[in-house]
Amino acid sequence: MLPAIGSAGLAIDDVADRLVAALGADLADVRVQEPDTVVAAVERGRLHDVAVALRGLDGLAYESCNFVAAVDHVSRFECVYHLYSFASNTYLELHVEVPRADPSVATVSDVWPAADWHEREAWDMMGIRFEGHPDLRRILLRDDWVGHPLRKDYVDTIDNHPHV
Amino acid sequence: MGLSDGIGFKALTDRVQYPNLSQFERPNVITTTVDFIFSWARSHSVFPFTYGLACCAIEMLSSGFARFDVARYGMEVFRPTPRQCDLMIVAGTVNEKMAPVLKRLYEQMSEPKWVIAMGACATSGGPFYDGYNVVNGVDKVVPVDVYIPGCPPRPEALFQGLLELQKKIQTMHIVPPVPTGAVRPQTAAGPAVTGPAAAGPDAPAVVAPDAPGGATPDKVRG
Ligand code: SF4
Repeated sequence: MLPAIGSAGLAIDDVADRLVAALGADLADVRVQEPDTVVAAVERGRLHDVAVALRGLDGLAYESCNFVAAVDHVSRFECVYHLYSFASNTYLELHVEVPRADPSVATVSDVWPAADWHEREAWDMMGIRFEGHPDLRRILLRDDWVGHPLRKDYVDTIDNHPHV
Repeated sequence: MGLSDGIGFKALTDRVQYPNLSQFERPNVITTTVDFIFSWARSHSVFPFTYGLACCAIEMLSSGFARFDVARYGMEVFRPTPRQCDLMIVAGTVNEKMAPVLKRLYEQMSEPKWVIAMGACATSGGPFYDGYNVVNGVDKVVPVDVYIPGCPPRPEALFQGLLELQKKIQTMHIVPPVPTGAVRPQTAAGPAVTGPAAAGPDAPAVVAPDAPGGATPDKVRG
């Protein structure tokens, strides 16, 4: 992989340092994972504020949300946001832990409109509610589907297939 | 013409109910049955419906282009609307959200219509068999005429399926067949063979509506 030097001329370690300097109180476990990717963890309650701040970072604005992933760790869920900064040509991976008992997290679709359908997919497949989402419907499965099939504890039953 | 190529000729001569094809060697005059001429025309001008759902669709497209050239069989007119089609080639994985749509589109096609299940997915679910959102074969939704195995089937396999479908179409009857037991005494008896029923070799088929299955000679005369 090529060393990532964007128009801002920042090396990846400088990017990590700047992120810690700007948002150090909210970001945990900041580390450089790949030559162009920084990984960090965020508290669930702070996600939306961090998203707004990241989008507005001067010279390092994470303007693009490439995708939103959801992971089932059995004891908990995790949402992973892949962000991209055109200015620095680097990626940021935001990890947010979501408890299984209350699988909800604030939406970032108002910060990055691209997150809209990704959050719908995470709801459809993993059952994570995105609070404040404008239109949280299923996106891939039938509207009358019961359950969220990519959860590890999902059990498919014949009742779920009334149409075929 | 399909009649002159080896495959079409063989398919036709396999069927005993078709007339002697040596007639076609004479210029300008053809005597044959309605059944034959309709199924001959239908089987060589099939309009497939563009219904590519997954990777198999790439092979279906490829069979339409110059290298494989489905036009050789008179089936190149892929239509994007079901109302102009009589063959649905289901090329790919049918999932549960698509199944009601597929059924609706099938119902919008005009009769007579046929369905080809192309590839392992459309036949049985294929690699996704028993997946939570996959229909295990399109035959759970619409009736299928020809199944083509493969993942994906090569265009040659699709062509073989199309040729099998041609054979199937050629066995169709436009006019319903008449039970032979009801017809023979009637023609032998003489009085009943008048009017349209005496038109020629096709006469038994014309009589059919008046003599439904199991009719006795007496009933026909009365
Ligand atoms: S049968 Fe194979 S090639 Fe065809 S749609 Fe299914 S997975 Fe794709």
